[in-house]
Amino acid sequence: MKAAKFDYERPADLDGALRLLGGGGDVYAKVLAGGQSLGPMLNLRLAQPGLLVDVTRIPELTRVEDDGEALVLGACVTHAMIEDGKVPDVTGGALPSVAGAIAYRGVRNRGTIGGSVAHADPAADWPTALSALGAEAVVRGPSGSRTVPVSEFIVGVFETVMGEDEILEAIRIPKLSADARWGYYKVCRKPGEFADAIGAVLVDAEHSVHRLVIGATNAAPVTIADAAEVLGGNGVPGASFDLDAARRLVDGADTNLDDMERHIHAVALKRAVEQVAK
Amino acid sequence: MSTKGIGARLTRKEDGRYMRGRGNFVGDMAMSGLKEVAFLRSPVAHAKIEGIEIPDAIRARVFHNADMKGVRPMRPAASLPGFKQSDFPALAADKVRYVGEMIAACVADTRAEAEDLVEQIIVDFDELPVLANIVDAQKPGATLIHEEWGDNVFVVTSRDDDIDAVAKTAPVKVTRTYDMARQTMNPMEGAGCLAYWDERMGQLVLYSSTQAPHLIRTGLAEHLELEQRQVRVIAPDVGGGFGYKCIMQPEELAVAWLAIKLGHPVRWVQDRREHLVACANSRQHHYQVTAYADEKGRILATDVEVTVDVGAYSVWPFTAVLEASMAGGNLAGPYGLEVCRYKTFSVATNKPPFIPYRGVARAGVCFATELTVDAIAREIGREPHEVRFENLVTPDMMPYTNILNKHLDSGDYPECLRRAVDGIGLEAVRERQAKGEEDGRMVGVGIGMFTEQTAHGTSVFSGFGIPLIPGFEQAKCRVTPDGGLEIYIGVHSHGQGMETTMAQVANEILGIDPDLITVVHGDTGSSPYSTGSYASRAAVMAGGAISRTCKVLAERLGIIGAHLLQCGHHEVEVRDGKVVGPRGEVSIADVAKIWYLNPDQLPDDADPGGLEATGGYKPKVDTGSFTYSAHAAVVAVDVEIGAVELLDYVVVEDCGTMINPLVVEGQTFGGTAQGIGTGLYEESPYDDNGQPLASTFMDYIMPGATEVPDIRMVHMETPSPYTDHGIKGAGETAAIAPAAAIANAVNDALRGLGAEINETPMSPRRVLAALAGARKAAE
Amino acid sequence: MKKTVNLTINGRSVTAEVEPRTHLADFLRDDQRLTGTHLGCEHGVCGACTVIMDGEPVRSCINFAVACDGTDVRTIEDFDDDELMAHLRQAFTEEHGLQCGYCTPGMLIMARDIIARLPDADESRIRLELSGNLCRCTGYVGIVRAIRRVLAERKEVASV
Ligand SMILES: Cc1cc2nc3c(=O)[nH]c(=O)nc-3n(C[C@H](O)[C@H](O)[C@H](O)COP(=O)(O)OP(=O)(O)OC[C@H]3O[C@@H](n4cnc5c(N)ncnc54)[C@H](O)[C@@H]3O)c2cc1C
Ligand code: FES
Ligand code: FES
Repeated sequence: MKAAKFDYERPADLDGALRLLGGGGDVYAKVLAGGQSLGPMLNLRLAQPGLLVDVTRIPELTRVEDDGEALVLGACVTHAMIEDGKVPDVTGGALPSVAGAIAYRGVRNRGTIGGSVAHADPAADWPTALSALGAEAVVRGPSGSRTVPVSEFIVGVFETVMGEDEILEAIRIPKLSADARWGYYKVCRKPGEFADAIGAVLVDAEHSVHRLVIGATNAAPVTIADAAEVLGGNGVPGASFDLDAARRLVDGADTNLDDMERHIHAVALKRAVEQVAK
Repeated sequence: MSTKGIGARLTRKEDGRYMRGRGNFVGDMAMSGLKEVAFLRSPVAHAKIEGIEIPDAIRARVFHNADMKGVRPMRPAASLPGFKQSDFPALAADKVRYVGEMIAACVADTRAEAEDLVEQIIVDFDELPVLANIVDAQKPGATLIHEEWGDNVFVVTSRDDDIDAVAKTAPVKVTRTYDMARQTMNPMEGAGCLAYWDERMGQLVLYSSTQAPHLIRTGLAEHLELEQRQVRVIAPDVGGGFGYKCIMQPEELAVAWLAIKLGHPVRWVQDRREHLVACANSRQHHYQVTAYADEKGRILATDVEVTVDVGAYSVWPFTAVLEASMAGGNLAGPYGLEVCRYKTFSVATNKPPFIPYRGVARAGVCFATELTVDAIAREIGREPHEVRFENLVTPDMMPYTNILNKHLDSGDYPECLRRAVDGIGLEAVRERQAKGEEDGRMVGVGIGMFTEQTAHGTSVFSGFGIPLIPGFEQAKCRVTPDGGLEIYIGVHSHGQGMETTMAQVANEILGIDPDLITVVHGDTGSSPYSTGSYASRAAVMAGGAISRTCKVLAERLGIIGAHLLQCGHHEVEVRDGKVVGPRGEVSIADVAKIWYLNPDQLPDDADPGGLEATGGYKPKVDTGSFTYSAHAAVVAVDVEIGAVELLDYVVVEDCGTMINPLVVEGQTFGGTAQGIGTGLYEESPYDDNGQPLASTFMDYIMPGATEVPDIRMVHMETPSPYTDHGIKGAGETAAIAPAAAIANAVNDALRGLGAEINETPMSPRRVLAALAGARKAAE
Repeated sequence: MKKTVNLTINGRSVTAEVEPRTHLADFLRDDQRLTGTHLGCEHGVCGACTVIMDGEPVRSCINFAVACDGTDVRTIEDFDDDELMAHLRQAFTEEHGLQCGYCTPGMLIMARDIIARLPDADESRIRLELSGNLCRCTGYVGIVRAIRRVLAERKEVASV
């Protein structure tokens, strides 16, 4: 189980990386970040790129910044750095708790937040969690930079809005107010496994945010941005949100799931909401 | 008496090298000129091979069936009436019969380059209808996997007790269908082998990650048409076996042939995907059980049909008969069953061929019988353990030959159950259930019991009439000139700790410190013949052989020692590493020095055989010694998502005299973890096209540290009356009962909801389906 | 297509030409002959290949050697004189934390990281942290007991 041949470059800056991605002619180039998803795919020969462009030493992609309203994490910040609090937390504990439950420590030490979002595996944690947190993806391409909400960045199973010549530069995570409430419930067969279902909820009344996300579906995570009503307005959120309410939301969403899976997703959503209702 | 002999909780001699990363596994070896092999494996489950296209540039490095002239396909016989043989060539000839079957071998400097070659070969398949399950395979007019057979059944076995009388009058009747999923054994080190031709010895040398080097030697010689003396097989460090490595692998045959053909060393190291795809080869049993009982739950008769999905071929030497016929033979379990009718079917499908997995057949049997016992208990409203007490063979009946001709040798089965019930705290669990859980989960408790015929010998295997039947076991022991001991055994240790436990047996007899004893195992060039480590036979058989041989050495040491001590040789005793006489003692080291270096001082009656002897052993009966056990589990079922968590787990086991309790516990914990995998997680599913759906560890869920609780073990120790030192086998046992105990616990938890689950693994999906079924039935 | 990498392995600085597709584990095992690092899956799940990189455990099967340029790698062979590892080894052997020994190097490296990083870990935390290292032989019982024991013994020493 060894990877097919590929070439490897480690550009020192973003422009260099973009050049390598765009200018290959018929060489199929792919970004390499932590390699924790790409590595297995290469070893299994499920991916056979001609060139890997290692972006992990590019300063813009390893930066950690506070721009006033949001925390900007370079795409190559690792799960473990977030777990360990080596980057500031602007989410009242949501970021480190999600990070700490991804895969295993050995994977978290290398795997990156940007790689996870760019990979767009529906069963992964960041796509759902960051959608719920209202985060944005900062994308850099040959023609410049654009910013896309994570909830719109992922458009399908392993599918994003990015072109093959673009790079995910950073993730912008808005600061939550002090009394924001966060709920996240993952159903998986055992710790470290990819999720069978994820429910995520953010209630930040001060910023008028009532957001639910149904994750780990057979499609892109489903963000319900305007969930104030189902969550019971600005009172105690979620008090009246029961399994039936959750099931109605799941049934109404584009999830590509069978009946039993939708049931499990409804339970995950309900349990996430129970966390904010507590 | 010795503190390091039989019964001592000695830490293991082998640990050091592994913990320092200095083990030596097949993949670790380096050799000049070594090339690596990758196999092209069939991507389709059933097809005729119309052609193989190999680019000219790589033709010299690619080999397929037509190149392997003179190599015989594996075609093991079995003497069971009606058994059908299958040709299983190392590389597929005109047809492939499962996904993962090998078609071509590619040789290159590195594995990566060998895999590059694999990608350049094009095979033209004429696809045939696929038989992906036992139902399709048994349909009249089904495609034939082996055309000459006429159907797809390897063998049918049966026992035809008259149960009609019981059936008419029995007050209680329960009928159930049980299914155990197909599994992959997954030792952490896959298979692998390295072969070269040794010109000086005129020998093929094969290093292989195997449990049975002598067996492989015999198999290679027969299939490559070499003389046995021209083959040497060495099992170096082996990263787990569990049965998977107790047969001759087609890869071993191919690699051995390549080494001879190419004249340089070649190696193949199995990767995990190969293992999961080509080796999903165990546990897929289907049962239809009807049991008749009286009002108290005493089972009056059982009527059972067992169908095993044994895959496409018979493996050498154990064949496709082993699984189903052992299933039939173990249906009585620890119970005094009086009437049993059964029929077993070994059905061929387009899946990898069955290989005996730890607890062969019995994990399935135990699942079917123990769930039936609980179903009876629910039917009559008694506690399941009370129903078991009604049925267990009791100590006063021992030794007891049951209706299926199993000679249960010794033990106290009811006491074992009592300790399990106490150990798991049944009453406390019942109270907890009455109170209910804060988080809404449902708690349940369940028990699984079984007996395991360990070290079953000649007569059992000769009953199957397979190519290789175990007999006597030998050990060669040599006192070294400085008073140490070398023990050569033909069985192989790959986790069982035999470098320690076998030294303990020798220590028991000679008193030589285990630190001064080297156990050499797994090399046909140096050890006596042995069919290998399987069937929980090594401790009983090799242990017995070492004990006997050391006694021969003690006798010879005594003669020389007595001479040195100037006393009669009947006056001396060998113990604590010394020859002790009435007026003094002399160390074994001093005696050895005389034998080897100062023979001028030897007595006239010194045995010319010296301080080296080979002795053999077979227990008094060869029907095996029966280890027995009760497993008890407490689970919590999250009925909303179908998740099952193990809250507590107790094992009570009696494996006779324990050579080393630490090692027995280790075997028990490990076996239990595998059984937990069977019960809750592990599954190699196939789609209708015979495509395996679990080809990585992402899809095949192995139990990890969060899935296996801190298992509690209670020992019982009833020495076998038939074996030296009273040893019984312990290697396989613990893998047998967990699925049954856990299923009984889950069903106990779900009882109030009217749901019952009768298949493995008890995944969330299956639990939810059972609950939905119960809801529907209630409506 | 080979590339040059410079890295530190077990305290030695190493410069080597590697094919980009060679993962770190193969590089360590085949090129450096450090075969204590084992391969159990080559897709990141089993943990047998765990080594220490820049002080942290990583899976050497899904990191390519070429991408490890400039890092400091330690394999099981580098812990012969490590005091904490010696303590762990003692506990592993006494609690029977290994059988076939195949998962053991990865287990020990992970266990050592748990002890160093989480001195207050209780049993369930240990199990969680260990969940990415598969063992087919031991049922984890001896492994978890060994780690608990080392944590407890070190606490005792620290409190004296
Ligand atoms: C055993 C195991 C268990 C796991 N369990 C989980 C889990 O429970 N939850 C979970 O969320 N994840 C899990 N993962 C995945 C892990 O989180 C990965 O780290 C993550 O998915 C990918 O990040 P990476 O940095 O390793 O990306 P890589 O593997 O390097 O890349 C992944 C993909 O994204 C592209 N890419 C990466 N970075 C960029 C960028 N900056 N711009 C453009 N494209 C980019 C690559 O080209 C590639 O296609 C698991 C992985 C393993 C091996
Ligand atoms: S071999 Fe690297 S995680 Fe399994
Ligand atoms: S000791 Fe064999 S895999 Fe862990």
